[in-house]
Amino acid sequence: MTKVKRIGIAALAGAVIGAAACVIAQAQDAPHGDAGNGKRIYLAVGCFTCHGRSGQGGALNGPAPILASTALPFDGFKGQIRDPSNDMPAYSDAVLSDKDIADIFAFVESLPGPRSPKDISILNN
Amino acid sequence: MSKRRRSADSSRRNFLKGAGVAGAAAAIVPPATVNALPADPQIRKAAIPGPRQIAAETMPPAADPVNQTSSGGDFMVDVFNALGIEYLAINCASSYRGLHEAVVNHGNNKPEIITCVHEDIAVHLAQGYAKMSGRPMAMACHGVVGLQHAAMAIYNSWCDRVPVMVLGGNILEADKRAPGAEWPHSGVDIGQLVREFTKWDDQPASLQHFAESAVRAYKIATTPPMGPVFLALDAELQENPIPNAKGLRIPKFELVTPPQGDSGAIAAAAKLLVEAQNPLIICDRMARTPAGMANLVALAETLQCGVIDNVGRMNFPSRHPLNQSFRRGLIAQADVIIAIEMNDLWGTLTHFSDRIVRQSRPSTKPDAKIITLGVRDLYLKSNYQDFGRWQDVDLAIAGDGEASLPALTEAVKRLIDDGHKEIFAGRGQKLAKLHTAMVEQSKTDATIGWDSSPITTARMCAEVYNQIKDEDWSLVGTAIRLTWPHRLWDFKKPNQWNGVSGGGGVGYNLPASIGAALANKKRGGFTVAFGGDGDFMFNPGALWTAAHHKIPILYVVHNNRAYHQEYMYLTAMAARHSRGVERMDIGTTLKDPNIDYATIARGMGVHGEGPITDPKDLAPALARAVAVVKSGSPAVVDVVTDPR
Repeated sequence: MTKVKRIGIAALAGAVIGAAACVIAQAQDAPHGDAGNGKRIYLAVGCFTCHGRSGQGGALNGPAPILASTALPFDGFKGQIRDPSNDMPAYSDAVLSDKDIADIFAFVESLPGPRSPKDISILNN
Repeated sequence: MSKRRRSADSSRRNFLKGAGVAGAAAAIVPPATVNALPADPQIRKAAIPGPRQIAAETMPPAADPVNQTSSGGDFMVDVFNALGIEYLAINCASSYRGLHEAVVNHGNNKPEIITCVHEDIAVHLAQGYAKMSGRPMAMACHGVVGLQHAAMAIYNSWCDRVPVMVLGGNILEADKRAPGAEWPHSGVDIGQLVREFTKWDDQPASLQHFAESAVRAYKIATTPPMGPVFLALDAELQENPIPNAKGLRIPKFELVTPPQGDSGAIAAAAKLLVEAQNPLIICDRMARTPAGMANLVALAETLQCGVIDNVGRMNFPSRHPLNQSFRRGLIAQADVIIAIEMNDLWGTLTHFSDRIVRQSRPSTKPDAKIITLGVRDLYLKSNYQDFGRWQDVDLAIAGDGEASLPALTEAVKRLIDDGHKEIFAGRGQKLAKLHTAMVEQSKTDATIGWDSSPITTARMCAEVYNQIKDEDWSLVGTAIRLTWPHRLWDFKKPNQWNGVSGGGGVGYNLPASIGAALANKKRGGFTVAFGGDGDFMFNPGALWTAAHHKIPILYVVHNNRAYHQEYMYLTAMAARHSRGVERMDIGTTLKDPNIDYATIARGMGVHGEGPITDPKDLAPALARAVAVVKSGSPAVVDVVTDPR
């Protein structure tokens, strides 16, 4: 809920954009992160507030991308956290170390991605 | 002396008459010298009262009448009924007790009183009702303290361009006010409280004045651009007997025909649209009546162009192949954009960055032609900035969008030849494929976290739709940024959606949804709404109104246990400062203790389900709630959800 409510219906612009981020080439260069610790940090520092606890995406002022099973390379993931390209706040190393980011990356990589909607009958109404 | 025991002669008019007599008497015999004998014997002889005069002056005053056979309130009720006002939402208050009694007894509860436990609820209820029924209802409140409670909802109605008749009781004459509360509850010009966000207001000084002002207020409120209006009702006028019943007349009322755009401008717009390679329709608060959606579909299908619907009203079917609302990239490709009844055109056509340095850039092509069609600019005020930032346009047509669309569509058809038809058909097929892909992508995205707890908002919306899809449903509320219904549900009828709050004032969703449900009740429609937990806590008492008046509604609480948008903003602030990002739940969350909305609902006499944390429990709970709603009662389902 909000009391400041930007009426930007740009939110409608669709979390579909987030899905596109997932189809970028699979990360090859990720440091080994601790997914369990990554989950703790993901929930503690507010990642989940925009991207969802399951990495399903959400919205801040506009759509916040899907992160579950992200196919972003680690450098791209880290770059977006340090110097975001949109309204996402930048997390400096004072609040999120490179190790923290690696752990978060390991966590979101481990999250299950989308299933086929055909397997869920009520999505086919 | 209490107002209940006041003589019929103490009305303003008779008071003034009496004041005149008293004044004349005072000129002959000043009060200070009544018992003094003048020195001149001639004068002394003339001034000595006779026995009859002495008796008249020393007798006790006539007893106050204890009954009356008419009241100004009766006439006011006749005026409201002549206007066809169906409901009067109130939180009872002594400054309009005359009107209240008259509605109950003279009008036999017509307009039907809807009892509310807060004035904010009463106005929001009227806002939701008007958008669903297409007609205004009235609300009444204490003119000073109640009106201040009502102000936020009046502001939402103003920003949402929705007609509401707001009535405020007042005691104008200072010498008629009882000691105590009637003084702080009275004002000289109470309309100024809300004048910056009402279309018109008045404080009638006579019953005939009231009749004409009530009809004028209704007419102004329902003339596009619509909006709330306010009438201050003097308590004396409501309560005292009608002095001249035969002289009173209820004015004839006819709705104003909404203005159509100028024919030359419509022709120019048609030419631009037909000649465009990638025309685009954008709309917001466009559909006023069931005809609105059909009119927009006709234009879009004639042009075979994309439609981006900002969903201020039920403008365009969600699964129409030309619906491109979730493909905002089309804005950057469009060479001609027609924006119809837009709320925030600049915001829609601009990319804005909410960063340390706030920046913006147009989303449109530099040479894109922009046409506006609407009435929004025909009535604006200066203080509150809901008019948004200035947007350059190439052709601005002053005319009601819905009323002007048939002429525009006909003008487009006249310009189309076979060559155009072939090009348009190809364009439409391409858009239809993109629409289908968009729907499929939405379904795929909805599967992520399907079995998670807290429950994803996608699953919550899918489960609700599965329960109500075969009903004659109307969705009349969503929590902020909850876009899943418009991504997943098949909106295709004019009454299936009615927009959002307008001004963003929290507390709208629950009472306004109940107001829409009140409008749906008569036709037997099934009303469903999603609402945030933060919104719920502003006006939980609205549930009692739903229970008391047996207003059926399925209200699903999107319970993310936070003022979540603020939680995100606060996190962004902390990240900017590189500090304390783990403490942003302070002041933004609704936990410790968690709020149990189902229990609150039950406490108000409403069926309550939840809190539901396991997605497997959702379908059975919803099924039980739907059964309650179909039996004619309200039901609340508290779903503990992920944030967005």
